[in-house]
Amino acid sequence: MNLIREIWQSIVRRDPLSTDKGKSELVFLNVWLHIHPAKVKKEHFKFNHTFYLGFITFFLFLVLVTTGIALMCYYRPYPSVAYQDMKDLQFVVFMGPFLRSMHRWAAHAMVICVFLHMCRVFYTGSYKKPRQFNWVVGVILLLLTLGLSFTGYLLPWDQLAFWAITVGTNIGGYAPFVGNYIRELLLGGHTVGQEALIRFYVLHVAVLPSLVILLTIVHFWRIRKDGGLSRPIWKLKPNKPEELVTIGATPQTAPLQAVAASSDKTYGLMEVVTGKPIFETVAPEEEEDAVFSYPFAFFREAIALMATVTVVMATSLFWHAPLEELANPAKTPNPAKAPWYFLGLQELVSHSALIGGVVAPSLMVLALLVIPYFDRNPSRRPSDRKWAIWLFTIFVVINLVLIVIGTFFRGPGWAFVPPWVHVVAGAE
Amino acid sequence: MGRRLPQIFFALSLFALVLIIAAVWQASTPSWKKYQHEYLQMEAQGEPNAVTKAAVLNTPPQIQQILLPGLQRVDRCTTCHQGVEDPTMKNAPEPFHYHQGLGPHVPSKFGCTICHGGQGLATDVKDAHGNVPFWQTPLLPADYVRASCGRCHKEGDIPGVPELTEGRRLFETEGCRGCHKLNGIGGSIGPDLSEEGASLRSPQWLEQHFLNPSAVSPGSAMPNFHFTRGQARALTYYMLSLTNADMGAYYASEPLIPSPSYGRELFVQKDCLVCHSIGGVGAKVGPDLLGVTKRHSTNWLDEQLVNPQLVYPGSSMPAFDMPATERKAVIAFLATATATDAQAIVAGKGQAPTPEDAAIAAGKLDFGRFGCAGCHGTDLQGGVPNPNAQGGEVPSLLHLASDYSKDDVLEIIRNGRVPPLANTKGPQPPLYMPAWKNLLSDEDIHQIVEFLWSKQQKSQDNW
Amino acid sequence: MNRRSFLSWGTAGMATLGSAMAVSFGAVVRFMTPSVFYEPPQTFKIGKPLDFAYGAPTFLADEKIYVFRDRDKGFSVASAVCTHLGCTVKFFTNDDQFHCPCHGSIFAESGKVVHGPAPRPLNWFEVTLARDGQLLVDKDKIVPASYRLMV
Repeated sequence: MNLIREIWQSIVRRDPLSTDKGKSELVFLNVWLHIHPAKVKKEHFKFNHTFYLGFITFFLFLVLVTTGIALMCYYRPYPSVAYQDMKDLQFVVFMGPFLRSMHRWAAHAMVICVFLHMCRVFYTGSYKKPRQFNWVVGVILLLLTLGLSFTGYLLPWDQLAFWAITVGTNIGGYAPFVGNYIRELLLGGHTVGQEALIRFYVLHVAVLPSLVILLTIVHFWRIRKDGGLSRPIWKLKPNKPEELVTIGATPQTAPLQAVAASSDKTYGLMEVVTGKPIFETVAPEEEEDAVFSYPFAFFREAIALMATVTVVMATSLFWHAPLEELANPAKTPNPAKAPWYFLGLQELVSHSALIGGVVAPSLMVLALLVIPYFDRNPSRRPSDRKWAIWLFTIFVVINLVLIVIGTFFRGPGWAFVPPWVHVVAGAE
Repeated sequence: MGRRLPQIFFALSLFALVLIIAAVWQASTPSWKKYQHEYLQMEAQGEPNAVTKAAVLNTPPQIQQILLPGLQRVDRCTTCHQGVEDPTMKNAPEPFHYHQGLGPHVPSKFGCTICHGGQGLATDVKDAHGNVPFWQTPLLPADYVRASCGRCHKEGDIPGVPELTEGRRLFETEGCRGCHKLNGIGGSIGPDLSEEGASLRSPQWLEQHFLNPSAVSPGSAMPNFHFTRGQARALTYYMLSLTNADMGAYYASEPLIPSPSYGRELFVQKDCLVCHSIGGVGAKVGPDLLGVTKRHSTNWLDEQLVNPQLVYPGSSMPAFDMPATERKAVIAFLATATATDAQAIVAGKGQAPTPEDAAIAAGKLDFGRFGCAGCHGTDLQGGVPNPNAQGGEVPSLLHLASDYSKDDVLEIIRNGRVPPLANTKGPQPPLYMPAWKNLLSDEDIHQIVEFLWSKQQKSQDNW
Repeated sequence: MNRRSFLSWGTAGMATLGSAMAVSFGAVVRFMTPSVFYEPPQTFKIGKPLDFAYGAPTFLADEKIYVFRDRDKGFSVASAVCTHLGCTVKFFTNDDQFHCPCHGSIFAESGKVVHGPAPRPLNWFEVTLARDGQLLVDKDKIVPASYRLMV
C-alpha cells in the first residue's frame, strides 16, 4: 500500500492538516486557495462589519455562470426559435424551470448584493488610502454587473424583454455625439431584432463575463495586498497602532531593519515558519489574534457559499421565473418599462431626456468613481465622517425612491397612478 | 457563533441535500406522467396475456411530440391525450377520449392546436389549454371549434360548416370593409381584422360585439347592424378563422375539399358536355351521366377517370390526369347533377351580358365589398348617425341624380369629402367620406356610379 | 467545542455536501439528456393493410423503408438504408434484390449481404397493428428477417 500512499502524496504534497505547517501549506501550496493568507486576524470575520456581501456577490456570480452554461445547451439566440426554447425549458427539459429560475433570481440578487456591498464599503470607509483604486475597480464591476443583467434580459425574447431593451437602448441613445452610434453598435441595426439578439448574447455569455472575471481577479488581489478584508479598526484596542501598511521595504530603510509594527500586516510564509517577521517586529498580542485560514476562514466562506446557493435554490423551487408572450414589435405594452434597476433612470428620463437620461446618470457614476480621491478625511470612524455618510445615504435613498416610483407609481402612458388605485385596463 | 461553525455547516449541507432532492423530485413528477400511467392501466385492463400486460404497464413514460414545421408549431397534446386515434377509447373519459370524425386531418400531419387552439408546447393541463396569462390563443369552446376549418380552407363551401360561408358572405355584403381593413383592403376607422382569429378577443366577446357593439366596446363608432344570433355567430366564425394567411398554403396549392361546387367548376373547365350529356342535355358521343353514381361505385368511376381505356378499351375519352381531390370533386358533383345544371352550363357558356349590365353588376359587388353599404346602407338608404354633421346622419344615395351629375359623384368618390358641420364650433363628426382614388381604379368608380344611377328614385317634385 | 465533536460535525457536513454534489451531478447529466427529439419520429403509422399491394414491395421515401406484403406470410418492413455508408438502396423486381448505387452493395430479399462492401444485412423493423387499424412501424425495434405481421 506504499504505492497508494506514494500516489496520494504525489498529488497532495503538503503536511497533514493536523499540523500547523500543514494548515499553512494547504493555503500557500494550493493554486485555488493561495489568494488567502495562511493566517487571518479574527476581526476580518466580523459578520456585522462586512455582512460577507462581497463573498455573497461572488458566489452568486458562480451560481450564474454554472446555471448559465447549463441553460446554453438548450437556448438558441435567434428570434425565430429563442422563445420556443424558453418554452421548452419550461415544459420539457428536466429541471428546466428550476435552473432557469435559479439563473434569474441569482441575477436579481447579484444586482442587489453588489449595490449593498458598495454601500457597506462606503459606510465602513474601506475605500480610503491605500484602497482607492480598488473602489474604482469595484464601481466598474458594478457597471459590468448591470450590463450583464441588461444583456441577459433580452434573451427570452418575450414582450417584457423586447420592450425593456427597446426603452433601455433608447435612453442610451440620448447621449450626445456618441449616443446614436453606441446604440447602433449595440443593436447591430436601428431597432431591436435578430442582430441585436446575437450581439447581446455574445456580450452576455462571453465578453462581459470575461471582463468580470479579469477585474474580479484584480479586485481580490488588491484586497489581499492592501491588508485583507475590511476590519473596524476604530474599534480595536488602544495599544494597537493604527499606522498604514507599507508594501515591502521602504526605499529609505535597508532590509532586515525593524520598522514600527503595522496593524494591517498579514503574515507571509517566512514569518510563520521562523516565527519572526522579516520586515517588522510583531507584538505578541497580535500573534494571538490571528487564526489559521484553514479551518476558520474557509468554513465561514463555505457557509456563506452554502447559504447563498441554498437560498437561491429554495426560492427557485417555489417561485418560477415568469415568461410573457412572444415579442411583438407591432404591439407596445402600455406602459413599457425598463428592467427594474433602470427604472429610476427611466423615471428621470420621463422628465428630461438629456438631463435625466444622460447628464444625471453620468454625473452619478462620475461621483461614485471620484469618492476615494475627493474624500480627504483619513479617518474611517463613523463619528468622524458624518457628512460623507449623510450625503451617501441621501444618494442611496434618492435612487431607491426613483426606482420605487418607476416600479409602483407609474401606469399606462407613464401617468402617476398610485398602486392602490385600481386601474381598469382598456380593451386591447 | 464561532464554536457552532461545523454544526451550521452541517445544517446547511443537509438543507442543500434536501433542496436538490426536492428539485429532482419536482422535475421527475410532472402531471403528464400520471395521465400516461392511467392510460396504460386502461389499456392493460382486460389484456389476458400476462407478458403483454406487463410490457404495456412498464412502457416508459415519454413526452409525445408532433413536429409541424409547415404550420410553424410543435404540438405535445398527445402526451396526455393518448387515446385520440384509438377507436377502442370511444367511451373513455377525458383526456383519453377517442376523436371522432378526423378524416384526413390526422394528428401526425396536423397536430391539434391548429383547430382547437391552446398551447401545444406545454405539457401540463392549465398551460396546454392556454387559459393562462400571456398565451393569446386558448382552447376554443366546443361550439366554435368548427370555425378553425376556415383557417386553411379559405375559399369555397366547407361541408358541415355553413356558418363560415354565411359569415364570409355577410362580411362582403354588409360593408364591413368600409371601416375595417382585411388583408390590406378596407378602411382605417376600425381595427385591422386580418389576424382577428389570433387576437385576445374570445368567441363570446366577438359574438356579443356583433350583436351590440357599444355594449362591449364603450364609445365605439361601430353602428348596431341588428344581426340575428345566427348571423352574429356566422360572422364570429369568420373572425375566428382569420389567422396567419400562410396556413393553408402549406398543405395545398389546389382547393382542398372535393366539394360538388368545385366539381362543377372542373366539369365546366374540362368541357365534359362536349361528349357527355346529363338528363339528355349535352352531346351524344359518350353515355348520359344522370344518376351515374347510382349505377356504378365511386371506385369504379374513379378508375374510369384515371384510366378510361381500362374499362372501355378503344374509348375516345382522354385521360385527364386529374389528382385524387379533383376526381373526387367531379364524382361528388355528378352525384347530384341534373339536366337543369347541364342547361345552366350550356347557357352560361353561350351568353354574354351586356356591357351596361356587367358594369352595374360589378358596381353592386364593389359597393358591398368596399364597405360603402356600411355607411350608406345596403339599400342606399343612409341613416347611420353622424353627430354634428349637417343632417345628423350619413346621407341616403337614392336621390343623388337630383343634386349631382355623374361626374360630380365620380369626383366625390375619388377625392372623398368631409361632411359640412351643423355647429361650426362643435367637434368633427366621426364619419366622413374617404378618398378612394388610391384603392379603386377609375373604371371601378365608374361602375359604382352606374350602379348608383340604376338605383335612383325619381324625385317627387314635378319640375 | 472540542476537537472530536468539531471533526464529527465537520465530517458529517462534508459527507452530506458530498452526497448533495453527487445528486447534483446526476441531475445535471439527466438535464443534458434530451427529453424530446426535433427529428421525424421513430414510430409512425403508414396506412391500412388494404393500401398495400401484394407482389412488389412498396417504397416509402420519407421514412426510407420498404413494406413487403406476402400473400400468405403477412407484413414485414425493411430499412432502405445501406449498412455500408448510409445510401438509399433500391429493390429491383427482375432479380428480387436490393442494389445500392453508391458502392455496389447487393442485398438479397431477406436483407442478407450478397455482394459488395456492406458489413451487415439490412435491418428489419417491427411492424404491428395500431388500434385504429393502421400499420405501426417502430424503427427503434430491430427484428429478425423472418418476422411477419399476420393480418
